[in-house]
Amino acid sequence: MNAASAIVLAAVVAFAALAVWRVLRKGAPCECGGTRKSCGCGCGCCGGAEGHDNASPKAVKD
Amino acid sequence: MANSIKIALAGNPNSGKTTLFNALTGSEQYVGNWPGVTVEKKDGILAGHREVVIQDLPGIYSLSPYSAEEKVSRQFLVEEGPDAILNIVDGTNIERNLYLSTQLAELGLPMVMAVNMMDVVRKNGDKIDFEKIAKALRCEVVGISALKNEGGQEAAEKAVAMAKCGEQGIGKREEGRGNGERRGLRRAPEVPHVFTGSVEHAIAHIEESIQGKVPLRSIRWYAIKVFERDREIINRLGLGVGEMKHIEEHIRDCEKELGDDAESIITNQRYDFIQRLMDKSLALNEKRKGKATLSDRIDKVVTHRIWAIPIFILSLCAMWWLAVAENGPGTLLTDWANDGFLADGWHLPFTTHECREEGRYKGMEFEDAQEEFAKAEATVQAWEAGEKKASIEDEETGEASDEWDVDEAAYNAAKEAEEPDPSQFGVWVPGIGALITGALERSGVSDTVKSLVVDGAWGGVATVLGFVPVIFIVFLFLAFLEDCGYMARVAFIMDRIFRKFGLSGKSFIPILIGKGCGVPAVMATRTIENERARRMTTILATFIPCGAKTVIIAMFAALFFREQWYVAALMDVVGIAIIILGGVALKKTRLFKDEAASFVLELPAYHPPTVSGVWHHTWNRLKGYILKAGLIIFPACVFLWFVMHFDWSLNLLADEEIEKSILHDLGSWIAWFFEPLGFGSWQGAAASVSAEIAKEQATATLGLVAANMDGSTTGSHIQALFGAVSDFPKLAALSFMVFNLFVPPCMVAIAVTFREMGSQKWGWFAVGFQLFVGYALALSVYRLGVLFAGGGFGVWTALAVVVDLFCLWAIFRPARKEASK
Repeated sequence: MNAASAIVLAAVVAFAALAVWRVLRKGAPCECGGTRKSCGCGCGCCGGAEGHDNASPKAVKD
Repeated sequence: MANSIKIALAGNPNSGKTTLFNALTGSEQYVGNWPGVTVEKKDGILAGHREVVIQDLPGIYSLSPYSAEEKVSRQFLVEEGPDAILNIVDGTNIERNLYLSTQLAELGLPMVMAVNMMDVVRKNGDKIDFEKIAKALRCEVVGISALKNEGGQEAAEKAVAMAKCGEQGIGKREEGRGNGERRGLRRAPEVPHVFTGSVEHAIAHIEESIQGKVPLRSIRWYAIKVFERDREIINRLGLGVGEMKHIEEHIRDCEKELGDDAESIITNQRYDFIQRLMDKSLALNEKRKGKATLSDRIDKVVTHRIWAIPIFILSLCAMWWLAVAENGPGTLLTDWANDGFLADGWHLPFTTHECREEGRYKGMEFEDAQEEFAKAEATVQAWEAGEKKASIEDEETGEASDEWDVDEAAYNAAKEAEEPDPSQFGVWVPGIGALITGALERSGVSDTVKSLVVDGAWGGVATVLGFVPVIFIVFLFLAFLEDCGYMARVAFIMDRIFRKFGLSGKSFIPILIGKGCGVPAVMATRTIENERARRMTTILATFIPCGAKTVIIAMFAALFFREQWYVAALMDVVGIAIIILGGVALKKTRLFKDEAASFVLELPAYHPPTVSGVWHHTWNRLKGYILKAGLIIFPACVFLWFVMHFDWSLNLLADEEIEKSILHDLGSWIAWFFEPLGFGSWQGAAASVSAEIAKEQATATLGLVAANMDGSTTGSHIQALFGAVSDFPKLAALSFMVFNLFVPPCMVAIAVTFREMGSQKWGWFAVGFQLFVGYALALSVYRLGVLFAGGGFGVWTALAVVVDLFCLWAIFRPARKEASK
């Protein structure tokens, strides 16, 4: 395997690992936007269970 | 945020609280144009006021403790106590909205009433006298339009100013006092007196009895609740027998005098008060009086007893026609995305021309030149294989063209043919796939790594992203219907049908939400108070095809049902039918037997949707879908590529050795499960199981497996996959689609189902029921379809008949009677 192949392979595996890590940390995204760990949804259409981050960056927890 | 000022947004369902909340805080909380969207409290920071927290409460009609939303709102307002209330009132329905306002005013908190939808009120020519309402309810009143972002910020700032100085409203300000003990108040704030003499007399006695047991500012609200015999409040106050006896005497005197029970007395007198107030402060446009509004006239048609359902089905058909019909906008855009933007490239519109270069293709259009080249390739292949005839297959339909003779002269000429250069036929824009392939080839990466990137990672993601145009059209259409007010009518129409089957229309709100995503749909079942009905709705809500399942529908509609676009619309209708019939069958069991809960639905007035509103809804959903392609589909495809290109000893396999791969073995081990359904191949099994990661992964996996096959296009390979396992590939494809649409939803939705069900037992019951329905439906579609197509009667056909008879028995058997005690 040449250097270019090794770099591309490492990049693909790293990006895939990063995506998995983000999903594990923040939760899976859903069709309604955003991510939320506890309910797996980030859009707020579910109302947001207690203690969730809201979709807005300005939002706060209790 | 210990020292923050809390402003609670409270009001009736669908009065515009979340729209105002988003405008005030810059949030992007989901706003639904039907009641019951917000089921829990949400917080956000008021723009320009770091210290002010705006709290969006679920919509409620009163402060009684009956529904989940009322409990959340009441608990927060009474126990936690915000610093001020911003009461959102629908100006077009002000009379009905004031019932809650009178109760909120009794809490004794500083309150600003924001009369929303003033743009519509003005347009209708109606007039509302804010001063009179303010004086009667002892609060500030301002007119706003949350949708047009008018007046909301001023109303919020008024509430902040009142919270800061602890004012309770106009009445209080006149006296120049604060609002509660924590602000040093020693007497109760002035609150509106809406009741007649004897009731006020009884309430005054109750206030005396409970003084010191409740916050002074809210003493009147507590006293009224005690008068209504609210058990929760009475228990919490811990009133002694002597005190209760004394209070009961006063209540009974009132009941005797007014000839009604205490709770009804309070309700009726509230309405009388509101009626008197409206007579003074609301001037309806004389021209409109007694005339049906435009909304009423539209409702006469769209909620008509006979026409309502055909109109709903027509609207579904229109949506799916736009999305998946041959030569419809969705198909044209999807073809462009799949073949051009995400793959090889495309010609800029209006720049295409016949080939001007000298040579084989001069004077030809690009498509003709491509076909010429394909024929040359087929001629070479046929000659080298020793065949005397050659043909090519259509990329879309997979059908073979007319055959032509192959001889040495034709072979030699064909061998010289070069692939047409698209830039000779117009301005050519390379697609992302071509750019990636080109970059990898220039870098000199090995074929294996190139396959990982192009066929594995990018191939899977591109298969899913290729359907963004379809998803966009579906979401845009739904956002339009929702924002103009039609979707709330759909809930109303479905309530009529649901009720006939003993189900509650309240269950349909989560189902409507489920068209976007199953996760919030399951969460939305919290609005259903009855536990049995809630559990049943949780089990059934995800049968409606969500956005991710739309991708499966779009792919199979494009590959197998291009001329039968209605198959796509049929999937939604089947979803609703399963919900109804599944509900009927479940209600006949001991576990779910119950009376259908009452369902009160306030229909919003129709209004033209705003471009920003529709775009906001559509983009939010689309964004999540695109994000999922990067975060879930991409790593899943990389993993699947590895298990497809390595054997158990972790040796790298050549393309033709794929039958030694880990994925092949894993798929083969469970393929028997799918055998009766007509797609019992390792590819079909792998696609169906991987769909549990995310439903659209089924399409990505099929694309990934097909990309590894020799031949022309991914689409024709997927058609070939179903053709290889069944003599009836269309039926096998339909069975695959039905199975993946109606078996348990994705992992995330299953996890939420377990959580909302509250126990492992109920969670597994839900998953088991969904698996049974999906499997039974796919089995029936395939086996009975094969029978009617002349494929004969076999063991699996007999099983399909038995399963169908069992389902019919479960639906039509007499309802179970309660055992006598």
